[in-house]
Amino acid sequence: MSMFRVFISHLTDIETMTTSKKVITREEWEKKLNDVKIRKEDMNKLVMNFLVTEGYVEAAERFKMESGTEPDIDLATITDRMAVKKAVQCGNVEDAIEKVNDLNPEILDTNPQLFFHLQQQRLIELIRNGKVEEALEFAQEELAPRGEENQSFLEELERTVALLAFEDVSNCPVGELLDISQRLKTASEVNAAILTSQSHEKDPKLPSLLKMLIWAQNQLDEKAAYPRINDLSTAILEDPAV
Amino acid sequence: MPTSASTSTNRPEVLISLLRSESKEVKVKSLRELKNQIIGNRTKKLSYIKLGAVPKILEILSSSDDSESSILIQSAATIGSFACGVDVGVKAVLDSGAFPHLIRLLSHLDDKVVDAGARSLKMIYQSKLAPKYDFHKDGNMAFLLSLLNSENENVTELGASIITHSCETSAEQKVLCEAGALSRLLILLKGSLNQREASLDSLAAMTESNSEVISKFVGLDSGRALNSLTELLKDRYPRTRLLASVCLIVIGHTSPNYLQDIGIKTKLIMILIELLEEPGRVGDEVPFALANLIADKEDLQQLAFEINALDKLCSFLHNDTIHTKRLKGILLAIAELCSRLENCRARFMSMQALNLVTNALTHDCAEVRSAACICMRSVTRSVKNLSAGHFLDDMIVTPLVQLLHDQCTLVQVTALKTICNIVVDVTNRKSVFIQCGGLKELVLLSKSMDSTLRLNSVWALRNLMFLAESNNKERIVSEITASTLTSLVCDPEPSIQEQALALVRNLVDGGISSIEHVFVEGGIIINAVGRQVRNASKSEVCIQGIYILGNIATGSESHKEAVMHQLLQEAPSVLLKFLKCSDARLRVAAIWCVVNLTYPGGPGSSVRVARLRDSGIISQIKSMVNDSCLDAKFRVRTALEQCKPVLGCLGVKLSATNEQDHF
Repeated sequence: MSMFRVFISHLTDIETMTTSKKVITREEWEKKLNDVKIRKEDMNKLVMNFLVTEGYVEAAERFKMESGTEPDIDLATITDRMAVKKAVQCGNVEDAIEKVNDLNPEILDTNPQLFFHLQQQRLIELIRNGKVEEALEFAQEELAPRGEENQSFLEELERTVALLAFEDVSNCPVGELLDISQRLKTASEVNAAILTSQSHEKDPKLPSLLKMLIWAQNQLDEKAAYPRINDLSTAILEDPAV
Repeated sequence: MPTSASTSTNRPEVLISLLRSESKEVKVKSLRELKNQIIGNRTKKLSYIKLGAVPKILEILSSSDDSESSILIQSAATIGSFACGVDVGVKAVLDSGAFPHLIRLLSHLDDKVVDAGARSLKMIYQSKLAPKYDFHKDGNMAFLLSLLNSENENVTELGASIITHSCETSAEQKVLCEAGALSRLLILLKGSLNQREASLDSLAAMTESNSEVISKFVGLDSGRALNSLTELLKDRYPRTRLLASVCLIVIGHTSPNYLQDIGIKTKLIMILIELLEEPGRVGDEVPFALANLIADKEDLQQLAFEINALDKLCSFLHNDTIHTKRLKGILLAIAELCSRLENCRARFMSMQALNLVTNALTHDCAEVRSAACICMRSVTRSVKNLSAGHFLDDMIVTPLVQLLHDQCTLVQVTALKTICNIVVDVTNRKSVFIQCGGLKELVLLSKSMDSTLRLNSVWALRNLMFLAESNNKERIVSEITASTLTSLVCDPEPSIQEQALALVRNLVDGGISSIEHVFVEGGIIINAVGRQVRNASKSEVCIQGIYILGNIATGSESHKEAVMHQLLQEAPSVLLKFLKCSDARLRVAAIWCVVNLTYPGGPGSSVRVARLRDSGIISQIKSMVNDSCLDAKFRVRTALEQCKPVLGCLGVKLSATNEQDHF
């Protein structure tokens, strides 16, 4: 975080120098940026945090070897977590549930909402595969009791079962449940729960740093014209429009 | 025959029989399947428990040796899941004797086995049903510390859970503190998220109502321990913020000097109000913490009110799908906010929130119904709204009266306490309550075997009688009947005697016709009152009794005569005893009696003065002209004045009595 504090203090310097909108040339800007010192280890830690949180286990192992950066979590657990995530993404929800339970049985036992969403996803997959009878039985046996325990689960269950009532599900009001994005949503919910159970933050730090960069640029836009970063993927400084 | 939902799913009976297989592979596989079937699934847990699965799994756990890691892991995890979230499950696990076998796993070489054992034990200790851990028993403290000092996170969390579950008495807090648990918990506070939360829970248990432990804690880490807690108020995890707040509230309740800074108090309130929005467990627990923080603290209630706590809390009442526990907490928090401050109650009324709380009176959950009553009781303390007759309304009274025959005694009691306030009403709308069937229910409850129900129903009747119009008095008395009233006056519980007498006192307040009520059926009521005045040992009972007699003494000649009879039938008389009593309240009440008995003008007044003189009353009064109690001193002068014959007529009426609330 230190990098940003320094960065922002530079920006405030600029602010106090100008009364109207000031133009800062590329040279001036780059000179100022050069004065900001960033520690390499901090960068490495941010990268490691990204790899670990996003689950790039092999890359993290290589990165650990090559950069000497210690991950803040046991890398073996990442493999397990990614296997769970992948299983949900592929529609093998039952397999995912078993894997989560092997990892830590507390997760689904103490998180009824997540458990319900996984079971709901299982139901969605049965419906997707046209196993109507099995889907109905599953809804009745596994999901209906959860609906009795919680009003909002019941509503979600009703919405899901409604999929069975339409011939053309792609065009029905609840069709979005069959969307791949529903799988991804469920997968990321499980991923977050596993990370939390491991006392790990569920989001990587890098995106928040970029969000702060955008915010800081927006603040500065009101006061100055300067070389802006518009494309985050290249981080190219673009000349100020004068 | 129904087919199973998935081809890989075995029916419970089949699965249980597979557990007995000789093949280890089959055993592990079926254990794992059973575990996967029950995790998160209450219904399945219950049905497996019914089939006796728990002891069978324990048998596998206990008969497997250390080399069979996967059997140990699966069986421990399954047992842990049975103990999670289902009381019957905890009981089944405890009954099966799982404890020593799970503890054995903690020293296993395989970390995964240790994890499984620690997690299961943690589940058990999170239940109220778990047996208390005996900190004093030989070796137990050393074992607990070894858990807290472990490298394994699950094991340290287990250690903290044991403290949270079992540390209750100050002796337990002290022995834990002396063993060094406090400083270890402080270190865990800087550990991982899970350790931090477990540690905060334990710290709250260890510091609760114990100033000694608190001061020790505050001194830790060269005085920075408290700072570590306040720092956590800024933590990014909502649950951590909540638990840190709870800890600080606990500390502040016992040792307010550590939480004197108005800044920190404001911060706590703001954090809790912000956390109200959190989904799930955190949001469900927050209102209880808030209620606890502001309980009995008018300054904090005012502070909370100023930062819009009431509006925020009330906004949740509009939500129909709100979780039961959260609804209960919100009602209790509103109750605390409105318990003292009239401006809070006014705001509550202006937001039309009363209807929403009234709805909660008919909620499915008994605890919510009771919380709604408590909330309404706070709001109905508003004298302004009472005088405006805002509460004696069919919409409110009908559901409240319904609650008088609720299945849950707690609900009945809280409903009674609310009714106590509502019926004080002075706008002649008491008949609304009577017409809703409230009177009948109160009378029924006044005959209950449960003394709390009896006490509170008599209290409510007393307030209903307070300044009631004569036709309503008539209805109340005929519903109660003289014989029930008499037995209530003679109830074995002194507090009930007191309320019953206060009820009679309100009855006889208001003219000759009112007084006549205590002379029905051969005077059983006045005789009972006299008996209590002469024999009761509790001053409060005697005081109410004497005021009744004092009020009756404002009546006709025969009424006065009856009072003389009750007060002078022993020698030395009970009247003399009270005049000489050290309790000023009793002396004042007794002098009132004398004043009314000697009120000049009646044909018998001079005879009564003579009789009082004969029994030593007048000379006693003469000795009281400089009584230390001003009120007594003043009445003594009036009494002495009256003992010289002058013209006059009636006596001085004594005020009726109501006590709106049980503070």
